[in-house]
Amino acid sequence: MSGSGAHNTSLADRGDIRMSPSAARVLSAVLLAIGAVCVGLTLVLGLTTGDKTVARQALASYHVGFLIAIGFSLGAMAIVMILHQVNAGWAGLIRRQFENVMSLVWPCAILFIPVILLSLLGDPLWKWMDPEYVAGDALYDHKKPYLNTTFFLIRNIVYFVIWIWLAHSLFRYSTQQDLTGDKWLTAKARRMSSYGLLLFALTTAFAAFDWEMTLDFHWFSTMYGVYFFAANVGAAICLVTFILLMLRRSGRLADLVTVEHYHDLGKLMFGFVVFWAYISFSQYFLIWYANIPEETMWYQRRQADGWGTIAIALSLGRFILPFILLMPRPFRRSPAVLAFASVWLIGFHALEVFWIVRPQVYDPATYEPIMLNLLDVAAALGPVSLFLGLLVRKIASGPLVPLHDPRMDESLHHKNYI
Amino acid sequence: MAEPRTDAPIWGMTAEYESPAAIYHAAERFRDAGYAKWDVYAPIPIHGIDQAMGLKPSKVGWFVAVGAIVGVSGGLLMQWFMNAFAYQINVAGKPLFAWEQFMPVTFELGILFSATMALLAMLTLNGLPRWNHPLFGHDRFLRVSDDRFMIVVESKDPKFDAEATRRLLEECGGTHIETVVEE
Repeated sequence: MSGSGAHNTSLADRGDIRMSPSAARVLSAVLLAIGAVCVGLTLVLGLTTGDKTVARQALASYHVGFLIAIGFSLGAMAIVMILHQVNAGWAGLIRRQFENVMSLVWPCAILFIPVILLSLLGDPLWKWMDPEYVAGDALYDHKKPYLNTTFFLIRNIVYFVIWIWLAHSLFRYSTQQDLTGDKWLTAKARRMSSYGLLLFALTTAFAAFDWEMTLDFHWFSTMYGVYFFAANVGAAICLVTFILLMLRRSGRLADLVTVEHYHDLGKLMFGFVVFWAYISFSQYFLIWYANIPEETMWYQRRQADGWGTIAIALSLGRFILPFILLMPRPFRRSPAVLAFASVWLIGFHALEVFWIVRPQVYDPATYEPIMLNLLDVAAALGPVSLFLGLLVRKIASGPLVPLHDPRMDESLHHKNYI
Repeated sequence: MAEPRTDAPIWGMTAEYESPAAIYHAAERFRDAGYAKWDVYAPIPIHGIDQAMGLKPSKVGWFVAVGAIVGVSGGLLMQWFMNAFAYQINVAGKPLFAWEQFMPVTFELGILFSATMALLAMLTLNGLPRWNHPLFGHDRFLRVSDDRFMIVVESKDPKFDAEATRRLLEECGGTHIETVVEE
C-alpha cells in the first residue's frame, strides 16, 4: 500500500549489491580447477586407453556435461526474453542473475568444439557421420540432404552466432543502463526479445534435434524441441533460485530479493516441473500408443539394461516428488525448501541428460551394457564445473541487480496476493 | 425497489469511505478490534485488503484436493472395471490394464472433479445461491459498484453493539453510517 522508506536511497549506493571479490575469486578458482582436472582426466582416461568403447563413453559423457551447461544458458536466455516481452515489473531484481547465466553462451560454444573435433577426426559421437556405418541405410539416405556433416556444421555455427548475438546485446543493454540510466534501453531490449524469441525457438528446437535426437538418427520425435526447452528452462530457474539463495546466505540482497520474489520463482519451478512431465509423458504416450518400431526403439533402448530404473527414478524424482513438495504455498515461500528443490531438480535434470545420451553410445548387440561409472561423472562434471566457475566470475563482475531499471519500484514493492 | 420495513430487526450497519487507502486503514482497525462478521465492498480490487482484514486463507483448496483424489482414483477404477474386468478389450495387443492409455482420461477426470469441486465449494462457502440479500434493500449500496468503498458490519457479530460499532465506523473516517434491516 505505501512505499517503505528503506528503498529511498539509490540502489547503486548500497553495499550489499555486489558479491565479495575475495569469496568469488576463491570459489571460481576452485570450480575452474575441478573443471580443468575433470576435463584432463577425461582426456587421459577416455582417449589414451585405445579402447574404442571407453573413448566413446568419455566423449558421450563430456557431451552430457556440455548439454547441461548450455541448457542453463539457453533456459536463462528464454526467461530473460520472456520477462522483457511481458514487461515483467516484478522481476527487475532477479533478472540480472538470469542475464549472467545467459551471457555464458559463448564459453559453451568453446566447450562444444572438442565434441565436434573428436567426432570429425576420430570415432564420431553421431553414428550418421560415419560413412561406413550408414552405407546402404535406406532411412539415412532419405535424411541425407539434411543430416550431413557440412550442413550440420553450418547449422551449429548459425545457432551459436544467433545466440551469442542475442545474449551479448541483451546483456549489454542491461549493463549499459547501470552506467547511463537510459530508460530507452529497456524498450530496445523488449523489441529485441520479440523477434529474439522467434529466432530462439527455431534455433533451440533444431539444436535439440541435432545434438540429442540424431544421436539415434533412425528415430524422430516432432516435439523433441519442446521437450528440450521444458527441461532446460526448468533447470535455469532452479540454478538462478539457488544462486539468489546463496547470495542471500552471504548477506547480499537480503531486503531486496524477498520471500515474495522467491515465491514467484517457486511458482515457476513448479510450473516447469509440471510442463516437463506433460511434454515428456505426451512424447512417450504417443510413441507407445502408435507402436511403430522406428519410434519405439528409442524408448526400448532406454528401458533395457538398467536404464529403465533411471526412467522410473526420473518420473518420481523429476515430477511426482517435486510436484507434491512444491504444492503447498508455505513451501514455495520457504528458502530452505526452494534451495533443496532446486538442487534436487538440477540433479535429476543431469540424470535425465545422461539417460538421453548415454544409452546411445554402446551397441547392446556387441558390447556389454555399461551403466554410469566414475568416468561418466568426471567427464560430465568437467564442462559443468568450468561453466559454473566462469559464472561465479561473471556474477562478481558487476552489481547483482539492475541499477536503473524503470520498473524497479514495482519489483521493490512486489507482493503475492495469491 | 420495495420500501424496507421499519419495524424489522437490524441486520447490520454500513459506512462509506472515499478511497482505497481510507478503507484499507479502516479495515485494519476492525481487524484489530476483533470483529468477525463484517466485510469490505469496493468497485475495484484493493491489493493487500486480505491482510488488512485479517482474512484466513481460503478453504476451497482442500475441497479441490478431495475432488482431485476422487477424480483420479475414480477415473482409474472406472477404466479398469470397464476395459480390464467387466468387458475386456484387447487394443492392438496391449495389456488390458496399461497405465499409459488410461492417463488421458484419468487426468481429465481429475481436472473435471477438481474444477467442479472448486465451483461448488466456492458457492457453498459464500452462502450461495440465495434469493435476496438485506444489502440489496439499501439504496446507497449501489454506489459500491461505482465510486464508494463500504464497510458492512453484521448484527450477528458477537462484538456488534449499535453504539460502539457506530463510533468505531466514525472514528476511522466513515460517512453516511446507516443501519440495514432484515429482508
